[in-house]
Amino acid sequence: MSSNIERCYQCGQCTAACPMAEQEQAYKIRRFLQMEKLGLKSEEPMDIPFIFYCTTCYKCQDNCPQGVKIVDGLLSIREAAVRDGNILPAHRKIGQMLMDSGHAVPGNEDGKKRRLQLGLDEMPPTVASSEKQLNDIKILLNLSGFDQIVAEEKA
Amino acid sequence: MRELSLFLGCVAPNRYPGIEVAAKKIFSTLGVDLADLDGASCCPAPGVFRSLDKLTWLTLASRNITLSEKKSDDILTICNGCFSTLKDANDMLKEDPALKKDVNSKLAEIGHEFRGTQDVRHVVEYLYQEIGVDKVREAVTKPLNLRVAVHYGCHLIQPLKDSKLGLAGKPTFFDELVEATGATSVDYEDKMSCCGAGGGARTAILDATLKIANKKLEHMTEAGADCIVDACPFCHLQFDVGQAEINQKFAKNYNLPVLHYTQLLGLAMGFSPEELGIAMNTVDTSRFIEKVKMDISENEVCTIV
Repeated sequence: MSSNIERCYQCGQCTAACPMAEQEQAYKIRRFLQMEKLGLKSEEPMDIPFIFYCTTCYKCQDNCPQGVKIVDGLLSIREAAVRDGNILPAHRKIGQMLMDSGHAVPGNEDGKKRRLQLGLDEMPPTVASSEKQLNDIKILLNLSGFDQIVAEEKA
Repeated sequence: MRELSLFLGCVAPNRYPGIEVAAKKIFSTLGVDLADLDGASCCPAPGVFRSLDKLTWLTLASRNITLSEKKSDDILTICNGCFSTLKDANDMLKEDPALKKDVNSKLAEIGHEFRGTQDVRHVVEYLYQEIGVDKVREAVTKPLNLRVAVHYGCHLIQPLKDSKLGLAGKPTFFDELVEATGATSVDYEDKMSCCGAGGGARTAILDATLKIANKKLEHMTEAGADCIVDACPFCHLQFDVGQAEINQKFAKNYNLPVLHYTQLLGLAMGFSPEELGIAMNTVDTSRFIEKVKMDISENEVCTIV
């Protein structure tokens, strides 16, 4: 755990400032911090998918009187959940897009048309234009085990 | 002429290429050449990929940085998310030799090495710090008569807040750059709050994120804004595509054009709305474009008289 969530005394200022908590009552960031502190994360499947509701806007962290790095803490909680196989289907899908194209939002027909209209090349000068560079990305994603993280679950 | 490597990210080149064009045009006008960063990938996105696996996130980010190191250019991002990822990764690797060694052992497989020689900049932050508001104002040839709802976006401010720039509290740097174009930055409720899209939320729980965006759109409309100006293609997408989704799902009737700052400044430098890709938004921009063109021609008449 690289964050400092042990400093949290559950005052609730984080939840009070959170734009997501305002819309989704079930999303309470201070609860996740407390569960993590108590080592209870794996016994609470009800926290999935809610830990993935954070937009990482840092309002909670701005508002914390204890200087807790709340967002870093939450990202670590998410990482542990993903390691346990609790990845959301939508996130698995954009992970696969990254694997396939090197982009989380790859090009589409509309985008290509717009690029040509503006006098740009159809494909941007990114990994989208280079087989070799895309292959490099795939090598790195395999080395870090990302291909396994976003692989389809075995039936 | 100074040179920076332009980091495109994913959303700008693949959905809103007008932002890519606008960035190049305004920097060229200001005497800075933006070179393509050939072969760059997704930054990768800070909220979602960093929380799926931090080492993967760091490894891919470091590869993007090494592309600029090979050219000895600093990186310029036009997206808050890319800025957050690349700046955080760059700082982490510069400060932690063990982490750097770990990442470099992976990069060695593709013939790259992270050295830690370059900096990561954001277009708005760079314009403010390096070019300066006065120089930006001097480059304006067609002052804009617009009421603008400025949206900073979380990841533009958050990394800066911890830095030596002293921007904690209520930042004004983006508003100052907007007003340098002649436009008025309108005050509105919850101005510093999130668009809702980040952290993988838009991808996974669209409706909840639209409720957040809806609140901002309501406040921007109440303030009588002619347009939204942002500094991030993902906020841009949330306010543009998301606006159409909100109109449909929540029976609203918003019609607020969304511009990236590079496009706003491009207009004020005399580039046409068409060549800046402003008409390519999802939300209809025709009335806005008409107003801009009319204001500009009136201004020209005034100047001649």
